[in-house]
Amino acid sequence: MSSIDIAVPATRPRRGLTLGPLSTLARRRLRLTARTPRELVVPLLTPIMFALVIAPALHTALHTDTAYEAFVAIGTVGLLIPLNTMFSGLGVIVDRVSGAQRELLAAPIPRGFLVLGNLLVALAITALQVGVLVAAALARGIRFDTSAPGLAWFTAAVVLFTVAMYGMAEILAARVPRQEEYIARVPAIAILPWFLAGALFPITALPTFLTWVAKFLPLTHALALMRYGLDSDRSGLHAIWGLSDPRAMAALSLAVVGTFALLLAVGSLRVFSRSAVR
Amino acid sequence: MELAIEAHDLRKTYPAGVEAVRGIDLAVPAGEVFGLLGPNGAGKSTTVGMLTTTIVPTGGTARLAGFDVATEPLAARAVSSVVFQEAVVDRSLTGMQNLELHADLWGVDHREAQARIEELAATLGLGELLGRAVGSYSGGERRRLEIARALVSQPRVLFLDEPTVGLDPRFRAELLDIIAGLRNRRDMTVLLTTHYLDEAERLCDRVAIIHDGRIVALDAPRALLAALGRELVELRIDGDVASALSSLRERGVAGDDAFAVGSRVTVPLHDRRAREAIAAVHELGLTGAISVREPTLDDVYLRLTGGSLATAA
Repeated sequence: MSSIDIAVPATRPRRGLTLGPLSTLARRRLRLTARTPRELVVPLLTPIMFALVIAPALHTALHTDTAYEAFVAIGTVGLLIPLNTMFSGLGVIVDRVSGAQRELLAAPIPRGFLVLGNLLVALAITALQVGVLVAAALARGIRFDTSAPGLAWFTAAVVLFTVAMYGMAEILAARVPRQEEYIARVPAIAILPWFLAGALFPITALPTFLTWVAKFLPLTHALALMRYGLDSDRSGLHAIWGLSDPRAMAALSLAVVGTFALLLAVGSLRVFSRSAVR
Repeated sequence: MELAIEAHDLRKTYPAGVEAVRGIDLAVPAGEVFGLLGPNGAGKSTTVGMLTTTIVPTGGTARLAGFDVATEPLAARAVSSVVFQEAVVDRSLTGMQNLELHADLWGVDHREAQARIEELAATLGLGELLGRAVGSYSGGERRRLEIARALVSQPRVLFLDEPTVGLDPRFRAELLDIIAGLRNRRDMTVLLTTHYLDEAERLCDRVAIIHDGRIVALDAPRALLAALGRELVELRIDGDVASALSSLRERGVAGDDAFAVGSRVTVPLHDRRAREAIAAVHELGLTGAISVREPTLDDVYLRLTGGSLATAA
């Protein structure tokens, strides 16, 4: 049997640890996501339906004022982020079951970069989708009352809540062996809290004990912050904290969402690093 | 002598208590093609997993090109590449994108990577495939891509984990030629796991036979075969195999290295003549088929473990 000569040049020195691999991993995830458009489009459908169809319909049927449409439009961001990040988590299972995860684990990079690379793409897609949602709401005639500091509060809430929910998605993907089982858990994580967190109505409209439950949900704090930032609506923050200083209340809620994000981000890095190797 | 792969008392016990690897010692010099030969479940892939840092050892130490896999995992991974037993690719990306991803992660300069990819694509016949999504590749094409990917980073240690499993005979022959080509590289060490004897005999400088998580023999394929002599007699016995083997030993036809598996008794002849051995068999009144042949690594494995590689795999 003949053989083929394969010349492999002599080994050269390797570079030190840099962030270059992180951008490589993010680019890879972006390419994979771009080839599965459902990851981009599907999470957007339900929030757009709520913001553009259901909210105006409720406005007409219940004779609410126009501010209600803005209330619901921002509330739908609280559905969009969990749906989008949970869809992103599916990619982790695909990587593990039939993708290149083992190749990535054999690469000379810290394994946490695999999680962080995915997180960067989840953040970018979330930003794109929130932008589309807000633009669609504006096009539908919904008006927001915001300012530069307000946008900063809104952005901080969106980013931190996305980090938290992506951490949740990574942890779930590491714990659940198959896509079917993962998808079965999505409603409990992404949708159930949304109904309790003041997305469609103020949490004070809930029975008292559920109001207290809502106050402990990070999503409630995130939505209250988003409304404060994008629509100068401090009622959500007041319903949680009962203080008079809106900035203090916003800072407290931001601390809650930030702590939630930090815990889940660190947890996801640890869980992935432990579960990816046997 | 520079060692590319070193392992000392390497062990892996999984949480359920399964002892997959029970203390392996290896010293593979740089430039050697080293084979781990054994049936499925013998511990080959677990050993490769520990050496490539994707499985955490529960005992012992291992080094790749001098880097400890437990305490210097990044450095150990930087000098090695793996071709996995299963398909480990991004199927929706193109072949080129898969190769570039590896090059980027292993820190290969972009221009150098493009030159290497071009060269490997030409050598491995991938040129026209690289623009297609890997999901559309045949098994053989995908394997060639995975080998090209592993070589893009110019590894000092290349792991090939059962590289020909599941391929049809034509692709398998092609791939063996490619792997044989890697033998010409003296600055790259190859660790090949396989349960195919012909692969080990053809490709490997030395072979470790692994059984039940332990290395039961380690030497050059020829040396392992030489231990059984130039010829052996194989008897398929009608009746009690154990007593037939005892009778052959008492008569001086079979030595301590004769062995029985199922209805088959194998007798290495060493300096005895086949004709005399066959005559003795007839004199003992043993009935069944008799054949004389050269020993193979399967015989080495059977003698050491009492189980056939082919049937075990």
